[in-house]
Amino acid sequence: MKNVYTPIEAEILEVIDETPTIKTFVVKPKEEIGFKAGQFMELTVPGLGEAPFTPSSSPSQKGRIDFTVMKVGTVTDALHDMTKGQVVGVRGPFGTEYPLDKWKGKEILIVGGGVGGAPLRALFLALVERLGDFKKILYCYGARTPADIVYKELIQKEWPRIDPSKVEIRLTVDDGDSTWKGKVGVVTTVVENIGLDVNNSVGVVCGPPIMMKFATLRLIELGYPDETIYLSMEKNMSCGIGKCGHCMLGEYMVCKDGPVLTYDLIKDKPALWD
Amino acid sequence: MEAFFITDSDFVSFLSWLEKRGDLFVATRDEENNVKIKPYSEAGEFKYPGVRAIQPLKPFFFSMLEEVAEYPVAEDRPIEAKPFTIVGASACDLRAIEALDRVFLEGEFKDPFYEAKRSKSLVISFDCTEPYETCFCVLMGVKPYPEKTFDINLSKVEGGYVVEVGSERGREAIESNKGLFKPATDRHLSQRESIRKEVEAKVEGQSKQFKPSGPWQDVLAKVFEDPGWERNVETCVECGACLFICPTCQCFLLYDEKVKDRYKRLKMWDTCAYKNFARVGGGANPRPRLVERFRHRYYHKLDYFPKTYGFEGCTGCGRCIVACPGEIDMREVLKEICKV
Repeated sequence: MKNVYTPIEAEILEVIDETPTIKTFVVKPKEEIGFKAGQFMELTVPGLGEAPFTPSSSPSQKGRIDFTVMKVGTVTDALHDMTKGQVVGVRGPFGTEYPLDKWKGKEILIVGGGVGGAPLRALFLALVERLGDFKKILYCYGARTPADIVYKELIQKEWPRIDPSKVEIRLTVDDGDSTWKGKVGVVTTVVENIGLDVNNSVGVVCGPPIMMKFATLRLIELGYPDETIYLSMEKNMSCGIGKCGHCMLGEYMVCKDGPVLTYDLIKDKPALWD
Repeated sequence: MEAFFITDSDFVSFLSWLEKRGDLFVATRDEENNVKIKPYSEAGEFKYPGVRAIQPLKPFFFSMLEEVAEYPVAEDRPIEAKPFTIVGASACDLRAIEALDRVFLEGEFKDPFYEAKRSKSLVISFDCTEPYETCFCVLMGVKPYPEKTFDINLSKVEGGYVVEVGSERGREAIESNKGLFKPATDRHLSQRESIRKEVEAKVEGQSKQFKPSGPWQDVLAKVFEDPGWERNVETCVECGACLFICPTCQCFLLYDEKVKDRYKRLKMWDTCAYKNFARVGGGANPRPRLVERFRHRYYHKLDYFPKTYGFEGCTGCGRCIVACPGEIDMREVLKEICKV
């Protein structure tokens, strides 16, 4: 019987500073672990415990997985103190993925905020690897300040150059600074004039709870049907296998039935955005 | 299902056989006349319980605290359990096992520790004959006598027990002791029938005033915002007793600790009554207020659980009523809020 609670050792190959509070940890698990964009894993800081993260690297990348982690609590504080060569543990992948096959032929609108850019990077990379399958990708991303943008190089330089006829990147910050030449305003301010056919489109939202709420409402305003709005829910996923009860959202165990859930399934659930 | 008869004295011989099969736990009565499930060697003798035991059977399958992993590991150690027998499961206990089986054994991932223990268990149940005033199984679709999920069921009749076989494992145990079991006679069966009817009528009678107007899910769908939740949570001291004693509560906490140069992962019962149970790293908490956590328990048992598994996650055993230091009676709470 396989023990689902045992973490697989993973060596930290690299630590990348993304923002003052966010780092990306590139790890090499002892065993090859496959995952689909949107699924999450439990990262173990030895002796301290686990926390759930969605990988931010492309699911097709072999031998190494990136986790982009914001420093917010006990486990993430300890992770931020770890360096190249140290060993963490990984369990997973768990939960639901973004259904890319189902999205064939569609226009994809992605709305992200803050560290929510992590799962969305895995998704974005998976999408562009099979760009022929999709009509368009519009990626709208917002951060608090220019310094808080994750993957600055990618999002500001590399991604806009991929295929400007199909892939558009829109960036905004809540508060600009003297160096910032771009848009200022919350992310929903760039989710307008989207130039997409909402009848042949899906919306993907990932970010802090308040941003997810307003982005979802914006998508509804634009005419997206509830079942075409894909949310990546953050709840207290602990066991990852739908048993321990910590991540319940109505009748759903977010670790098993989510984290990717369409809005129609969860819009009436208590404390959806809390 | 096939029915046999065994005399009281032959049943003692059967217990001796069961003791050789593995660990044997039997229902007995303590000084205060409470039913307890104890190791046979400590219990002294088996006494037909007549009513559910004080403790739920959950810990036999889902330990209060157990080590579930050690790391770093070269390879997983096998997860094994010893064969064991429980004599003294009530119908509500069986419903709880059914609920936990669904939770821990269904889906893409099974809980290997639950599976190991459950796969080695022989569960012998009994018909209730002396239900407590706090019993309300009939409100949760459970009868005070077992209908399924047992390996062997006992019904007390004159001079012995009517024995019903509920599984292949139960059948094997009886076939290995053929000489002890006789076919049940019509007289035995009609005696069983009349006792069952009488006990069911009693539980129905005491539950009548709490009967909902429709399925619990439908009733609860209308009262999420009812002010009654606030009124009823007033005496809750957030101790979690109702949840720890609950035979179906499945929630647990995983935590790690360092032991010399290695790390252990432990799995411990947890409860949704505690403030930070659902809190996430960033600080968001879906149920920061006690009343929200109090309500969550009712909705998990009577709305969310049935949505997922098709039956209530409450067995009507009434243990939470007895355990509550704030004298909160689930039946009264539901009666007031759902206006049943």
